[in-house]
Amino acid sequence: MLKRPTLLWLLAPYILYLATLPLTNRIHPTVLGLPFLFFWLLLATLLTPAAVFLAWRGDKRRGRV
Amino acid sequence: MNTVVMSASATDTTVATTVFAVFMLLTVALGLLAVRGRGSGGGLAEWSVGGRSMGTVFIWVLMAGEGYTSFSYLGAAGWGYNHGAPVLYVIAYMSCGYALGYVVGPTLWSYARRHGLVTITDMVAHRYNRPWLGTLVAVLATVCLLPYIQLQITGMGVVVSTISYGAISLNWAYFIAFAVTTGFVVVSGLRGSAWVSVLKDILVIGTLGFLAVYVPLHYFDGYGPFLDRVVAEKPDWLTFTGHGGSGLGGTWFVTTSFLNSLTVVIFPTTVAGYLGARNADALRRNAVLLPFYNVLLFVPMLLGMAAIFVVPGLTGSASNLALFKLVVDSLPAWTVGVIGVAAALSSIVPMAVFMLVIGTMWGKSVLGTIPRLAGRPDRQRLAAQVVVVVAGVLALILTYATPNTLVRLSLISYEGMAQLVPMILLGLLWRKLSLWGALSGLVVGGTLVCALVFTENDPLWGVNAGALALVANVAVALAVSWLGPAPADPRPDEEVLASDPGPEESVPGRVTV
Repeated sequence: MLKRPTLLWLLAPYILYLATLPLTNRIHPTVLGLPFLFFWLLLATLLTPAAVFLAWRGDKRRGRV
Repeated sequence: MNTVVMSASATDTTVATTVFAVFMLLTVALGLLAVRGRGSGGGLAEWSVGGRSMGTVFIWVLMAGEGYTSFSYLGAAGWGYNHGAPVLYVIAYMSCGYALGYVVGPTLWSYARRHGLVTITDMVAHRYNRPWLGTLVAVLATVCLLPYIQLQITGMGVVVSTISYGAISLNWAYFIAFAVTTGFVVVSGLRGSAWVSVLKDILVIGTLGFLAVYVPLHYFDGYGPFLDRVVAEKPDWLTFTGHGGSGLGGTWFVTTSFLNSLTVVIFPTTVAGYLGARNADALRRNAVLLPFYNVLLFVPMLLGMAAIFVVPGLTGSASNLALFKLVVDSLPAWTVGVIGVAAALSSIVPMAVFMLVIGTMWGKSVLGTIPRLAGRPDRQRLAAQVVVVVAGVLALILTYATPNTLVRLSLISYEGMAQLVPMILLGLLWRKLSLWGALSGLVVGGTLVCALVFTENDPLWGVNAGALALVANVAVALAVSWLGPAPADPRPDEEVLASDPGPEESVPGRVTV
């Protein structure tokens, strides 16, 4: 991990879905009509591929993979 | 099991059944075409992991195909209908697991390729230098996987019976599920499953995309009114612990998602996908692209919640048909047929891979240890193919005869498989984890899972029982490794441990031995 800090991006889904749950387990405010919990998890689902992409790009730049 | 009795015309029945029949024939044909011109060479690795030759696109198609099972259409909608929010754990663990697969996938892939391994059981046999450990893990994993085959058979049975407006009976539908799947996977293995996945993914994306738009418009005048109504009238579905005293709170969600995200990366069917890759970078690209597929999982969950308003009062296993009630109720027969085919393929593809990995584990690690088969990939492949048929027949017979046996076993399936995580993942990274440490951890963790689940103490104190068992598992594994005997193993670390391969190993065609 210390040799490849870009892998820290892979923790992003764990933070988005799991660690923040006490803050996101709520109905209001609704976003685009979606109850907040559903909105947040949908957002997390769209951000996860972005986070993994950043990990991959970091590896590519360092010539690690 | 409830079949839906519909007041359908004979034409509707004929149309939907014909659409279904045509696509099932197409499925078998596609599965068999996958290996056209490849002959029967290549041994076990050609059949089990597609000759390690698949690129990013095929790996994506296959792994998306495996992940989206009949549960997605039936259980996800049913949970959405009964409880609401708790079902979101499926999306959470798959996203986390796919991200973790960015490192685990290439690590397992390169280990298997360097040492000529085809599944998790020969990985542990190689890591701990004990063929019998592979045999033991193969038997335990089979016990955990067989229920999944039955779940797919019954899931497809219910769907087929429903979309044929009852014309195809449950028992026939079960048999069709078995026959179609066995029909191609025996011959064409992982490659055939990937080809069928292409058809499946196209239909799943198309039909769910359509339903996501159609159902709210047809029943609620659009998303705005639908969501407003849910928020106003069904608030207890929208946060943890969900509706109906499920006992599945936030702690359960976090522990279950975390545990499953570790389990999914070593799950034998996932690993089959990893090992089928042409190179490590195909797996990394796949880890970037695969989480997008999870967006689709929101659809059956939301439709299940829509069904609360449209078809209230479903209970028990009937609630699993929440989504199909809406479909059959509102759409023309040919559309019902196509959506049914998408759902049926969501049983067929995962079932094919489940049967494939059971065959592979037995062909390589159980029967493959018999002297006549040892070191003979061609004979191991034949043995694996025979085991596929046997496992399928066994699951089919149990579905007819004692359906509840496998349903009970399925309760421990995922949490049971989770107990292999230390032996495989920790073991491949950390040399000091000894054979006896890994084994004692597995025994303690496995026993604890069985004890807690069968005494109906899952979740315990709001925590997933498998996660508690995993903590005990790791603690025992570490303690025994430090304090217990360490079997002598003269092999160097590079031979025993796995690591994420660098660029030199990612180039196709260059094998570092």
